[in-house]
Amino acid sequence: MKRIEVKLALPVVAPLLDVIKELADGLKKNLAVASQLEDLDADFRAAWTDELLAAQNDDVATLLGLFNDEFFSEGVVAFDENNAEAIVRACAAVRLRLRECFLVPLGDETLESGDIDIATLHEPLRKAFMCYLFLATVQELIIQHLDSSILDS
Amino acid sequence: MTPIRSHTLPKHEPQTELALGGEWRVVVLNDPVNLMSYVVLVFKKVFGFDEQRARKHMLEVHEQGRSIVWSGLREKAEAYVFTLQQWHLNAVLEPDEAH
Repeated sequence: MKRIEVKLALPVVAPLLDVIKELADGLKKNLAVASQLEDLDADFRAAWTDELLAAQNDDVATLLGLFNDEFFSEGVVAFDENNAEAIVRACAAVRLRLRECFLVPLGDETLESGDIDIATLHEPLRKAFMCYLFLATVQELIIQHLDSSILDS
Repeated sequence: MTPIRSHTLPKHEPQTELALGGEWRVVVLNDPVNLMSYVVLVFKKVFGFDEQRARKHMLEVHEQGRSIVWSGLREKAEAYVFTLQQWHLNAVLEPDEAH
């Protein structure tokens, strides 16, 4: 089984976890992307949303599970075919929530281009944007090294 | 898992059945957050697209704001929209006026 281990800088990443956990709480009851399902029957729409929420919560729990005792003692997180898909999706969910909760002042065009000087940002925007970049890096790592595991699963 | 329409929906009136019939499009809308590489991965995973086709649709989303990624019967279109939403893409259903 293909597995990648990444050593993270604890002093940099640990403070971001508070933001991720806060957003994860919000994702328990809110979809990262609101569904546009106006033409569906109300019961069906509710079932649809509930199933999306359950899947989203499972994914986010897998992401949070990365930051276990090993992470806090060694600074190491590990990705493999068992967690890659859930984590790459959870990162997307948290990044979308970051935009909604913190990053609106940056503007969508700026966010999409990524042309932002972190040094010019003030808290809490700065920490939120660091978190946004960190999760994108996790996604890129997984896509670069484990995309075949995801596609074959 | 895709919700099973027949288990949760009451019986449709004939007029509703007509409206849900025909061809439907699965459309992915742009968002400023998801990475291009992520969107390509999702298209490959969900539709089995090869790299070139997945990139073509991703670029349509990015540059034109939307891409029609699939069209066909309503039930299967719903299943695709559900799966794309599980991957946090902004996916919607549209009637295919051409059919």
